[in-house]
Amino acid sequence: MQHIDPEHHDGTSDATPGGTENMRRPGELIFGVVMLVTSLGLLWSAYGISGFEALSAPGSVPMATTLAMVISAALIVAKTARLPLDTSETLSRDILPGVVLIFAAALVGYGILLKPFGFLPTSALFLIGAIKLLARRGWGWTLTVALSSLIVIWLIFRIVFTVLMPAGIVPEAEFIQFFRDLTNGGDA
Amino acid sequence: MKRFVFGALSALALTSTAALAEYPEKEIQGIIQWGAGGSTDTVMRSVTPHAEAALGGTVVMQNMTGGVGAIALNHVVGEDADGYTLLMGAENPMLYKIMGLGDKDYNDFTPISILARGTPMLVANPDAPYNTYAELMDYIKANPGEVRFGATGPGGLPSVVTAMINTIEGDLDVISVPYDGDGPALTALQGGAIDVMPAVLGAAIEGVRAGKMKPLAVFDVERNEKLPDAPVVTEFNAAFETYLPWGPFFGVFVKNGTPDDVIAKLQAAYAEGAKHPDFVELMDNRGFTMMGISGAEADAFLSKWQQGTAWLLQDAGLAKNSPEEFGIARP
Amino acid sequence: MNFLTVFTQPQLLMLVGLGTFAGVYVGAIPGLSVTMAVSILISFTFSWDVYPAISLMIGIYMGGVYGGSRTAILLNIPGAPSAIATALDGYPMAKRGEAGTAIGVTTVMSFIGGFIGIGVLAVAAPVVSDFALKFQPRDYMLLAILGILLVGSLSQGSLLKGIFAGALGIAIGAVGRDPLTFTERFTFDFRLLEGGISFIAVMIGMFGVSEALLQLHHVDKDAVRQKINRIVPSLSTVKKHLPLSLQTSTIGVIIGALPGTGGDIAALMAYDHAKRVTKDPEREFGDGAMEGLIAPETANNSAVGGAFIPMMTLGIPGDAVTAIMIGALFIHGLNPGPMLMIDQPDMFWFIVGALVMANIFMVIFGLTGIKLFTKIVEMPRSVLIPLIMLLSIVGAYAVNNSITDVYWMLGFGVFGYFMRHYGYPLGPVILGVILSRLLDDNWRRAIISEREDLGRFFEGIFTSPLSLVLFIAVILIFVSQTPLWTRGKRMLLGRKSESTSK
Repeated sequence: MQHIDPEHHDGTSDATPGGTENMRRPGELIFGVVMLVTSLGLLWSAYGISGFEALSAPGSVPMATTLAMVISAALIVAKTARLPLDTSETLSRDILPGVVLIFAAALVGYGILLKPFGFLPTSALFLIGAIKLLARRGWGWTLTVALSSLIVIWLIFRIVFTVLMPAGIVPEAEFIQFFRDLTNGGDA
Repeated sequence: MKRFVFGALSALALTSTAALAEYPEKEIQGIIQWGAGGSTDTVMRSVTPHAEAALGGTVVMQNMTGGVGAIALNHVVGEDADGYTLLMGAENPMLYKIMGLGDKDYNDFTPISILARGTPMLVANPDAPYNTYAELMDYIKANPGEVRFGATGPGGLPSVVTAMINTIEGDLDVISVPYDGDGPALTALQGGAIDVMPAVLGAAIEGVRAGKMKPLAVFDVERNEKLPDAPVVTEFNAAFETYLPWGPFFGVFVKNGTPDDVIAKLQAAYAEGAKHPDFVELMDNRGFTMMGISGAEADAFLSKWQQGTAWLLQDAGLAKNSPEEFGIARP
Repeated sequence: MNFLTVFTQPQLLMLVGLGTFAGVYVGAIPGLSVTMAVSILISFTFSWDVYPAISLMIGIYMGGVYGGSRTAILLNIPGAPSAIATALDGYPMAKRGEAGTAIGVTTVMSFIGGFIGIGVLAVAAPVVSDFALKFQPRDYMLLAILGILLVGSLSQGSLLKGIFAGALGIAIGAVGRDPLTFTERFTFDFRLLEGGISFIAVMIGMFGVSEALLQLHHVDKDAVRQKINRIVPSLSTVKKHLPLSLQTSTIGVIIGALPGTGGDIAALMAYDHAKRVTKDPEREFGDGAMEGLIAPETANNSAVGGAFIPMMTLGIPGDAVTAIMIGALFIHGLNPGPMLMIDQPDMFWFIVGALVMANIFMVIFGLTGIKLFTKIVEMPRSVLIPLIMLLSIVGAYAVNNSITDVYWMLGFGVFGYFMRHYGYPLGPVILGVILSRLLDDNWRRAIISEREDLGRFFEGIFTSPLSLVLFIAVILIFVSQTPLWTRGKRMLLGRKSESTSK
């Protein structure tokens, strides 16, 4: 583990996490401080569960773990603050490039639209937009790839595994019943 | 392409409006309050296929766990009252209010069918130095703070049974060890981690038959034909007759406001399903008492159950909120 | 009906095969779980005979446990919790273009592990289940602590960040109403939080979405070309690793047989064990070590046989899937319990036979079609990334049919993205979530049983041989992670920072 392969530097393998060893990456300190503050908040919340009522109280283990979080987060912040900032990297290029922000926004948008719009239209919109943006190829190709993969996913989850994704504006249940009646009629 | 999809959709919409009179015109969702493999899950998954046949529709069942079943209940409350979302649950919601777990219970629902009810019993590790309910009581008095009872959290069957015993015999000085269900607790009983467990008869019956646990008393007014040798608790103390028969139950519900004809159809379908010999045999094997009631009879059963249990817990000091606050009358 | 039934009836043989085939894919897709598939099969096989129904379920189970490794190796997204450890060394191999080799080793080792699990089930089921029953709450608690010590081997970078991540995981596992007292914990009065956070949602977010977001940095880079010759590992490779696979399989059977622990914990413990006993691996762990692949895969498949041990002998489920199978046996008119082995010994031997068959099918389906699977990694990232995101969303929803879970999944995806950038390991978070309840519930049970008396609690540990052994193991592992103060200090302050610690 002494040698960190530059390929792994971005953390794409969990076994060798990202982060530079002797330098502080842009935003790392802020992240550490946010973690510390969050841990303190959680410790307070854990204390609020049952205080020091009993060893077996529901709040005992949460208090112990959040305390471990606070201590480790504080040590991490202290250690990170002492490291020199890695000046070869910038936040907007190496940590949060535009495309990541766009996708994060798209995922949030997906979450908001999923319930009112329903699974099929929202996913179609997402896939078409995302593939078009990333692949920069013609509409015909984009639509074919996006819609055909969506149909496969929908068939697996909705038909085979009967996972009822929010139907939204698409009358999915009626649609399936229609086909079920049709096939049943055929059998009879 | 777009026009084709749109055209197909509107054609579908047309066909479905035309067929509006016929319920069910689409798949029905059945939300099971408890996880896969539990008693509620097993009961619902075995009765529903028979009900589907009678209904001529499809019920897609899914488990929605968490919050002692409150997550599922609140989900169904949030759906339309059109009969396309069924709640498949157990007795717990009737105690949500007094346990501070939520402000909705089966009063917000119309019962389609109360399928069956279980019978509680007290079982012990076979090595325990007592063989009957009476001997257990004497042992507890002689050894205060030593006997470990299994529990499944406030409002669970063991807490109700323990509350009954406390009310009738006076407070017992025992250790109450919490488990997250009677399955894990009965496992712990066999391993000696707890000594006594109040459990539903169906969950303990195989262990009793195999001699892995011994029955101390069945909490009913008459002996159970599945375990004819096990004494009932009223043989030891007639005071229990006030509270018995009592037991957990399983039922299928729809939200209040569902059209009457839909309710009638569902009730007929589940009544038919509950009569199927396979289902009856399954319930019999697990020691459940078939009920199959709906309508006014079910409403009366539910409110009687709630009154009795809520006040029992309140009197035992286990309730978080008084039943009075919710207009639950003392029985 | 007996052991040979499955082999002689073409219909049952076909169903086991079909189940195994489907299982591999169910396992490979994150969010589709074996538990889910088996519970759907209960309704689906309702009107069937019990033997065909069980055949199909066993196939899915065996195939599914194995299938989780596929996406772990190819995409760094474990298809199931039991494949988390597999990703640690499997994905680095795929990055070198050795996905074929990785899948081949995984398949053969899963097969070996599977057989050892079945063998123990067939030969020693009553003995093992008696042993499993001996575990008291305090023993489960010690086991959970042993598990938490794995943080040490799961955090290659800074141990401190690993400890933070592990503690965070335990806290995440505690969110919602406490199952023992129904007290709200970390819910901040949000009703949505009462049900807790599904750990599958956390896992999919942290591994799936954050991976996809990271991949966005490399959209234009060509995918790694995969070499797909040398898929079946040579006999000498298998022979060389046989001692290790026997040890990790034993871990798998025992952890699998314990009610309340399953293949996920078994695989992580086995990974840790491999790291401890492998003196000089050809490659470092985390860089694509063969041992890092062998250990979790033998353990999680041998845990399958293990999980059937308490189910067949006592009617007690060894894990979530066997819990559903017990339900299935009920529905089909059998009474699973301690009497099943006595009343219906045929059923026991039938299940053993079906498991053997499923294991054989697993190796057949595992070694064919690898070419097709490796094509997934060679797909253009511009298509792969959006698809991973969509699958993550559907998968998170499918776990509990909850949109809230989808939000959590997305939130943890973004969070995991930052964690990866700043060198926080993700494995310990999942480990913490998995172990959270095992630790918390059993600690409380143990101390309640001793009437809140720590003295009695420790007396209990020192008077029970089993607890004592576990306790000593905890101490030994803890000390072995910090053999000297200086080294301990160095580990605490981060990798290679002796200069700063002086």
